[in-house]
Amino acid sequence: MRYFLSRLGLFALTAWAAITLNFLLPRLMPGSPADAAIARLAQNGPVDPATRAAIEAQLGVPTGGLLAQYWDYLGNVLTLDFGVSYTFFPASVASLVGSALPFTLVLVGLVTVAAFVIGTLIGVLAAWRRGSALDALPTLSGSFLAAFPYFWTALLLLFFLGYTFQLFPTSGAYSPYTTPGLNGPFLADAVAHAVLPAVTILLTSLGGWILGMRNAMIGTLGDDYVTFAEANGLRSRTVALRYAARNAILPNLTGFGLALGGVVGGSLLVERVFAYPGVGYLLFNAVTNQDFPLMQALFLMITLSVLVANFVVDTLYGILDPRTRR
Amino acid sequence: MSLLEVQDLSVVYEPSDAAPTHAVRDVSLTLERGEFVGLVGESGSGKSTLGFALTRLSKPPARISSGRILFDGRDVAALEDEQLRAQRRGGFAMVLQSGMNALNPVRTVGNHFRDVFAAHGHVPRERRDARARELVEKVELSSTVLGRYPGELSGGMRQRVSIALALALEPQLMVFDEPTTALDVLVQHAVMRTIRELQASEGFTALLISHDLGVVLESTSRVMVMHQGVVVEDGASRDVLRDPQDDYTKMLLSHYADPRAEVVELPGLAARGGQLVTSASTAPSPGRRAHGSGSAPRVGRAASAAVVVDGVSKVYPPPRRGAATVTALDDVSMRLEPGQSMALVGASGSGKSTLAQLITGVVRPTSGTVSVGDVRVDALRGRGLRALRRDVQMVFQDPYAALNPLHTVEYTLTRPVVNYTGRSRREARARVLELLETVGLTPVEQFAAKLPHQLSGGQRQRVVIARALASDPQIIVADEPVSMLDVSLRAGVLALLEGLRAEHGVSMLYITHDLLSARVVTDQIMVLHDGRVVERGETSQVLRFPQDPYTIELLDAVPQPSRAGGAA
Amino acid sequence: MTTPTTLPDPGGSESERPAGAADSAPPDLPTSAPPRWRVVTRAAGTVWVNRKARLGLVVLAFFALLALLAPVLAPYSPTAGGFERSAGPSSAHLFGTTAAGEDVLSQVIYGSRISLLVGVVAGVLSTLVAVVVGLSWGYVRGPVAEVVNFVVNLFLVIPGLPLMIVIAAYLQNSGLGMIIFVVVLTGWAWGARVLRSQTQSLRGRDFVTAAQFSGERSWRIVFREILPNMTSIIASSFFGAATAAILAESGLSFLGLGDTTQVSWGTMLFWAQNSNALLTGQWVLLLAPGLCIALLATSLSLVNFGVDGLSNPRLREGSGR
Repeated sequence: MRYFLSRLGLFALTAWAAITLNFLLPRLMPGSPADAAIARLAQNGPVDPATRAAIEAQLGVPTGGLLAQYWDYLGNVLTLDFGVSYTFFPASVASLVGSALPFTLVLVGLVTVAAFVIGTLIGVLAAWRRGSALDALPTLSGSFLAAFPYFWTALLLLFFLGYTFQLFPTSGAYSPYTTPGLNGPFLADAVAHAVLPAVTILLTSLGGWILGMRNAMIGTLGDDYVTFAEANGLRSRTVALRYAARNAILPNLTGFGLALGGVVGGSLLVERVFAYPGVGYLLFNAVTNQDFPLMQALFLMITLSVLVANFVVDTLYGILDPRTRR
Repeated sequence: MSLLEVQDLSVVYEPSDAAPTHAVRDVSLTLERGEFVGLVGESGSGKSTLGFALTRLSKPPARISSGRILFDGRDVAALEDEQLRAQRRGGFAMVLQSGMNALNPVRTVGNHFRDVFAAHGHVPRERRDARARELVEKVELSSTVLGRYPGELSGGMRQRVSIALALALEPQLMVFDEPTTALDVLVQHAVMRTIRELQASEGFTALLISHDLGVVLESTSRVMVMHQGVVVEDGASRDVLRDPQDDYTKMLLSHYADPRAEVVELPGLAARGGQLVTSASTAPSPGRRAHGSGSAPRVGRAASAAVVVDGVSKVYPPPRRGAATVTALDDVSMRLEPGQSMALVGASGSGKSTLAQLITGVVRPTSGTVSVGDVRVDALRGRGLRALRRDVQMVFQDPYAALNPLHTVEYTLTRPVVNYTGRSRREARARVLELLETVGLTPVEQFAAKLPHQLSGGQRQRVVIARALASDPQIIVADEPVSMLDVSLRAGVLALLEGLRAEHGVSMLYITHDLLSARVVTDQIMVLHDGRVVERGETSQVLRFPQDPYTIELLDAVPQPSRAGGAA
Repeated sequence: MTTPTTLPDPGGSESERPAGAADSAPPDLPTSAPPRWRVVTRAAGTVWVNRKARLGLVVLAFFALLALLAPVLAPYSPTAGGFERSAGPSSAHLFGTTAAGEDVLSQVIYGSRISLLVGVVAGVLSTLVAVVVGLSWGYVRGPVAEVVNFVVNLFLVIPGLPLMIVIAAYLQNSGLGMIIFVVVLTGWAWGARVLRSQTQSLRGRDFVTAAQFSGERSWRIVFREILPNMTSIIASSFFGAATAAILAESGLSFLGLGDTTQVSWGTMLFWAQNSNALLTGQWVLLLAPGLCIALLATSLSLVNFGVDGLSNPRLREGSGR
């Protein structure tokens, strides 16, 4: 419980730091993003004072006390008020993020967890059969796949499976003729659209998990408790899973938390390639249109999601390792 | 038929990146049912390799290259995996050297027992919990340990649990590979007693592998001595003690003695009898120095400073939140006169190392004062500490860790010479060679150019001693300087330390848990227990006529070959 | 005394010989050579002996030559347009041409320059930051260390690529320098953490305490005692940082956040997607730049396998004699 509380405290502190970083970023940059943003917004029509104030609070203007701005900004973050987007004027940033987030969370979240589980299992097998073909094949292809840029894997799959063989839809999350909701045709269509991005993320992130688990488990296989378990004649399944793998999963889990940021970053590029209407694609649109309010809000959401995921991983670690309970 | 018959067994190490090494060469031996046999050897003798081969636990790069291992008439080396697994129940079991790490940190002790029972199914399901309780009670643990994780147990408790787990297999042969090496002195003694009692009551055949001939002779009825992969001696423990056949065994035996005896003598170390050795008689005149040629600025520095520790306590903050603070030292006072040699003994956790750290200024006391001469050590910082260390030097426990693997011997020795004596690098070289000569590393030119990994353990420790001498110190603090060395090397290093101390007139604080070595190199002794001084005085007097029960307990834990065959 | 599963007994015998037998300690090493060079050559040998590392070095050398000799090897200037647009492979253009009528092969060859440059420069810079932060953070104790710990952890968990994208979007100047800057800013934390824990473990070792007893000053202890013992970890964090930098540069360029007029493998893919190379069926244009990125990144991780071998003390201490 103490471990859980200390992790919770650390999470809160890190989240606060990330929110603050998000506040400071535009203010540390040369030039005035806020002025640029207001000028851009003015192209769509007159900017009302409330909107102007919101943008200034978010992006910073040379006038006004920093502390007061910070206070306003914190209030805005808590009420999820990120102003309006000017790419998709007059839609509010919050509504845009809200509609993109579910796609990314479901796609990236599910696939990442699946990749971790599959990769870990393959890693266990590779370490247990060290030196055999069952080890060499996943290890070698894993280290090669891990070096693939996410967007390139995506482009190749898109080109071959999407365009050349036309097995899967090439862009978007669902076809325009379906009605989003919990109905059969829509879900089937959404799954078909998700296959290529999902396979990309799975393939590219799998290698890292395989290698991580394999190396961790080769370490634990050399530990004395494994030798002793063998000396006691335990079944090899028990030795491999309950002794070697069970301990190797712990450092691997920590690695998972730390590598998560990279996977999420890569997934953003994947969304861009498949024009998948998630957070990454939206971020790409915001960046190309210099839509700073949208960009800021998206960055904050992405960071907070990764932090939450890390917190979950930490909690899981606490459950799996009895040594943290003391 | 013998329980175990080994015929011409050879084990070879074949690392992918180095030439193969023959660790065990054509070894033949037999173990009779119910015997308690010892297998002794120093590091690298191949004894552990043999133990692992006997229990079929050898892993690459180790490989049994030839020979047969007949267990109960069956060739163990030829068993298939599943036959081998079955053989581990009611066959042979192994207790590992590092019993501390032999348990899975994420499984409770009770689950370890359940795994063993489930693997072999030799205990009916409903009897299993009761059987586990029975087993842990046999090794003198409370059955509450079953619900705990290994991390919550002490080292000794963990080793007892692994013995109980091996017992759960109901083995005919138990191989104990250095079962107590990683444990504290007193715990070692207690665990060995449990092993002896279990062997007697359960009647299994036992093979005790150890580097310590004393421990083995004390416990076993028959002993084998291994040297460079070959069994050089095999005989009843009593006979080996009385009349060893092999020169190597004779040499090993010569390093054991009873610290309580009237006169104690070890190879190379002059006898220190019961006579009173006063500090005055060993303190030399300042001029009496062997290598005075290049060290002029020493006038008036010869061991003039006494170390005075007055009412010192050291309290460490709790190791984790919620735990109590740790009192390492509690109101300790002592005085080390110039030229004197004092032993500081106690089990681990007694505070002896903390006291050494206080005297060398590595840590500061919570209360009380420490002074060397007229310098208050507890008030020193940066520059002052550097000045202090010119006079107070340290010899470390582990010669492998105490030398930077990337620096040559010459570099390591040049640094203190340059830093403390203000010589140029060129002048320093002469002094470095002189130091090497002093510690007996000749030819000096050759040793100066060597890197640590090119030296043996004993040679490394000599370099460490040479470094401590480089600044012409007045006081040397030696923290277990020989505990990591093989028994046969210890006397040589101790003799060197003692000789240098007498010759150069430095004072020495000798920290150890080994009372025998304390007896032969020190005049004064101080026994620490739980951070308090429980006994002090002349070394020979204290060890011959101990007063405090803790000192007596420590003395009882010293392995005594003369108690050989106690189990037979 | 040793467990065969970790270190074989004979390894112990080698170092625990009785003092008299010392002459059999390796006498064949040239005692005249300065020890530093012996360490370096032995290190290089250890890396080369590793089969994976050797493969990595060969691939790496190939790309280095490609970058150096680009003007000689490339048939055309990478920016020279005017050829037939979006053409497939032909004898004149082995890899075909881009939508703007440039030679793809020449672009691939020239593109290696940017990737290697970014990899080396960003790798060196982030390693430098990591070494400075890691060493000092490992050597100090108390509240300062706690604060650094928090900052490093923050940089570790904040997803790097989104942060790079945001910063790049603000900075707007879209040069190579900007890309290197954001890559370094987001890439030093991992190395710092690894180096810090190594520093901490080394500073607790007896030889560091012994150096204090030899009267060494702090800076000398850090640079002469601790730092040389971390060579393999520093090298490994350099290769790691360089790999990450190459992948990050390609990602940013692919999003069009770099200088899109500069020819790099990332911008090639950016233009390929924007000009619908997917629809025109120019698979070489898609395959070649990405494959180069993947090969270069793989070669760096392969070299790292060999460097890891250095940190194994048994290998480092030359048991391969």
